[in-house]
Amino acid sequence: MTKKKTLGNVAFYLGNTLIALIFVSPLIWMISSSLKPEAEIFKGLNTLATFIPKAASLNNYVEVFERINMWKFIGNSLFYVLVIILLDLLVNSICGYALAKFEFKGKGLLLTLVISLMVFPAEAIMLPMYREMADLGWINSWASLIVPFVAKCFSIYMFRQFFMDIPDELLEAAAIDGCGPVRTFFKVVMPISGTVYATIFILDFVAHWNDFMWPLLVVTGEEKRTIQLAIQTFFGSKPINYGPIMASLTISAIPMLIMFIFLQKYYVEGIASTGIKG
Amino acid sequence: MRKRLVSALLAAVMVSGAFTGCGKTEERVNEDGESVITVWSPSDEPAIEEWWVEKIEEFNQAHEGEIELRREAIVRADSYAYEDKVNAAITSNDLPDILYVDGPNVSIYAANEVTLPLDDIFSEEEWNDFFDSSKQQNTYDGKIYAVGATESSVALYYNKDLLDQAGISIPESKEDAWTWSEYYEAAKKLTKDGVVGTNIIMDKGEGLSYVLEQFWISNGTDFVNEDGSSADGYLNSPEGVEAAKFLNSLIQDGYANIDPIQKEFHNGKAATMLGGSWEVATLEKDYPDLNWGVTYFPVADGDGVLTSPTGDWAASVTKDVQDMDAAREVMRFLFSEDNVTTYAQAISKPPTRVSSYDVLDEYNEYPRSIFKEQLMETGHPRPRTPSYSVLTAEFAEAMLNIFTGVDPQEALDAAAETTDKDYKKYYAND
Amino acid sequence: MQKSVNKASERKAAYIFILPAVVLLAAFLIYPSLQTIRYAFTDYNIMRPDRIVFCGLNNFVELFQDADFWIAVKNTLYFTVLVVPFQTVIALALALLISSRRRGVSIFRAAYFSPQVTSMVVVAILWTVMYNSSPDSGLLNALLVNLGLEPCGFLNDPDTAMNSIIFMSAWQGAGYQMMIFLAGLQGISPEQYEAASIDGAGKIASFFYVTLPGLKNVIQYVVMITVIQAMKLFTQPYVMTKGGPQNSTRTLVYYIYEQGFQKRNFGYACAVAAIFFVIVISLSLGMKKIIKAD
Repeated sequence: MTKKKTLGNVAFYLGNTLIALIFVSPLIWMISSSLKPEAEIFKGLNTLATFIPKAASLNNYVEVFERINMWKFIGNSLFYVLVIILLDLLVNSICGYALAKFEFKGKGLLLTLVISLMVFPAEAIMLPMYREMADLGWINSWASLIVPFVAKCFSIYMFRQFFMDIPDELLEAAAIDGCGPVRTFFKVVMPISGTVYATIFILDFVAHWNDFMWPLLVVTGEEKRTIQLAIQTFFGSKPINYGPIMASLTISAIPMLIMFIFLQKYYVEGIASTGIKG
Repeated sequence: MRKRLVSALLAAVMVSGAFTGCGKTEERVNEDGESVITVWSPSDEPAIEEWWVEKIEEFNQAHEGEIELRREAIVRADSYAYEDKVNAAITSNDLPDILYVDGPNVSIYAANEVTLPLDDIFSEEEWNDFFDSSKQQNTYDGKIYAVGATESSVALYYNKDLLDQAGISIPESKEDAWTWSEYYEAAKKLTKDGVVGTNIIMDKGEGLSYVLEQFWISNGTDFVNEDGSSADGYLNSPEGVEAAKFLNSLIQDGYANIDPIQKEFHNGKAATMLGGSWEVATLEKDYPDLNWGVTYFPVADGDGVLTSPTGDWAASVTKDVQDMDAAREVMRFLFSEDNVTTYAQAISKPPTRVSSYDVLDEYNEYPRSIFKEQLMETGHPRPRTPSYSVLTAEFAEAMLNIFTGVDPQEALDAAAETTDKDYKKYYAND
Repeated sequence: MQKSVNKASERKAAYIFILPAVVLLAAFLIYPSLQTIRYAFTDYNIMRPDRIVFCGLNNFVELFQDADFWIAVKNTLYFTVLVVPFQTVIALALALLISSRRRGVSIFRAAYFSPQVTSMVVVAILWTVMYNSSPDSGLLNALLVNLGLEPCGFLNDPDTAMNSIIFMSAWQGAGYQMMIFLAGLQGISPEQYEAASIDGAGKIASFFYVTLPGLKNVIQYVVMITVIQAMKLFTQPYVMTKGGPQNSTRTLVYYIYEQGFQKRNFGYACAVAAIFFVIVISLSLGMKKIIKAD
């Protein structure tokens, strides 16, 4: 019995480690390059040695912080991304919930609309959106970075799918206890949906954190510059110095990883998380 | 209770957004009654950012009560991001008074009446101090639309050790510049032991037009005609196809990589490279162990024209300007003899004024002297045509297609056709 | 009595619940999209907003005759048809692989998700190295040559470029879907697995009889959004191949961007966008119908 378990464990860890290495190698390469001097970064790219810096140093990081106001830009990005997400989680979850559990006129239409709107690529509507921001006087303001992205069809649809799986009995029990639909949602449904909220949090965080095109259009100057814009400045001058680029990209990856780790507790296996015991 | 909270929150965001963003179109006059002149230029190295801060303060002090100069640093990434942003600003009439644009794009903005002619900001004598290549780049339809402080050039870098080993000699003067045949032979000899003879792909975007157009020019043709209205008969002319075939032979025969890894030459994986003037600084700083040299851009066999790439960012005045006199003052200031010199120094690029070279000694010494010589004597800017963005994208695509097996005549015909279609659609009726 | 009161308050609650989202979507998604469609009927040159001229169906007529457009349609559909099953299966496999209570699982979770966190710049550089056509610099080609095979052009060969992008996209995107599957796996209660094993079901049987049905809604969602995201492919062609070689990786959204921003043919780009909307919306609504019938 124990032998089988050990074998299973070995297989699990070995298999996962091998596969994980394939997935994580670019990230490791990026971090390793950020610790190398410029000339070493593109040497010997098709050998394993490229993953290990010969003489690791933090010079590139020093250069990044000296050259640009990194903290400010990180702060800017953190601010607007977190505001988007907090509003996003609220606005889209209640909409998804209504689509999942309520009966109302226009429900089918709304669902069709939500699915259809998922289709519209940002690149195609970017210019009219920009004009709209200009007309509203929102260019260079937080509003233009935040407001258009609060409502998201992907999120609404995902919330709907997950909420559909919540047993009606749970909701009826709450109703019998005297909860109106609003209270039911906030007191009963939300607490057991930690994983969905966490998933959308991390996925949206990554999407917005990495966004470059839109902030480029609506932000001018350094006041509200985001971290992605700041990183792009390293690509502007010739010759392109990849050392600081790798360092700034690594710095940029850190908040995402922190968020990811922070949200792990919502993924812990357990009966408690579903609470489906009636 | 919750729902009211939600709607209140939303309203708050929208209202606050409206307030913070209120009237954020470019301010043209400030509270002190001064004319505000705003400049958009790319974000750059600290040395340049400091230059701007210093010069803006200097200007504002000298013009107190009349003009306030401001600058917004725009992120300029490696590809078209800067132009995307300018395009967006065009739609909302939000352009700055003075806009820096990349050299070949000057004609696009000029033809679309986004920028204004600037012939009268300098006297004829003052204009004479500027390089022909720079003025040419910034001229469209006979008028000057931009002024630049710096130029760029491309030459043939070589690995001394590898060339010595192969017994290949280097041209001493530009008249001895390698012909295409000599270039090909050298590349062939040098391709061995995991090292490739040369690198002709600076990047797969603008770098292709920037460097390779010179092969068309050297062979007696160009990408388009004089006024930029037609690519057919030029890009795809017999001379052009010849140029394309030559370049392709280097790739097909394995003497140049179609997918060069970054810093191929610097790491000794390519024996020669067509590289920009800015590579000198990189090689000096980061690759002290490499024994390198630089020589003149190759020239076509027979009656080949001596030519080399040029081109750099330049400043123009946009149609949204209100106080043209103030803008003129600013331009004269930014591009004065002194300021062109200090700017070029800060950004480590060759200046556009002849007088600046009296101050910047480094250009009188090898290796920088090669670039200065090329700029003054053989430099040719890229085509001045409003369809440039189509032309350059089509050319890049055509070359990459040729490198992967498409017939050169076919590829160039298609590129010329699309370019001319664009011109006919938007500019032929003006 | 209780029921009808509930119904009324339910409907009222529903409208309040959907209000903020609907208002925002209308203002910031529907409105700009309608503008895009409007511009499709003009000859808008992006640099002349003062010269927008209505030109009826000209753009549409042009695009139906445009070989590049049809190639973009073909490429996009090809990409979607291949990447969706490939990526979804990988994502599900990864999710199952780490939905275990063993220690250190969160590290693997982070590793599989890491391509999402790694900048596209880095991904592009490294995959260009992987795919480099010269066996001296390309990892995969070095391997192929060592095994005695011919080197492959990968991104430089029109026949293999799109497949190379498919493989890379699946690698990059699997983490995204995996997170969603993980959330879905949460919702399947362990009792169901216990019941199944009591009934004598082995690992494989319980996968088909407990896991898959339990994930039905989630799989629906994942397939739907993966299809839509696949149809919208832009970044990889933009960063890595610029639509080439020989048009083999030109996708519809890349074509829209190219025409609209680079070539300043904004009216035409909007026409392509409008047709794109029609194609993808029909696709997704069609899928929804099929899934509903399931």
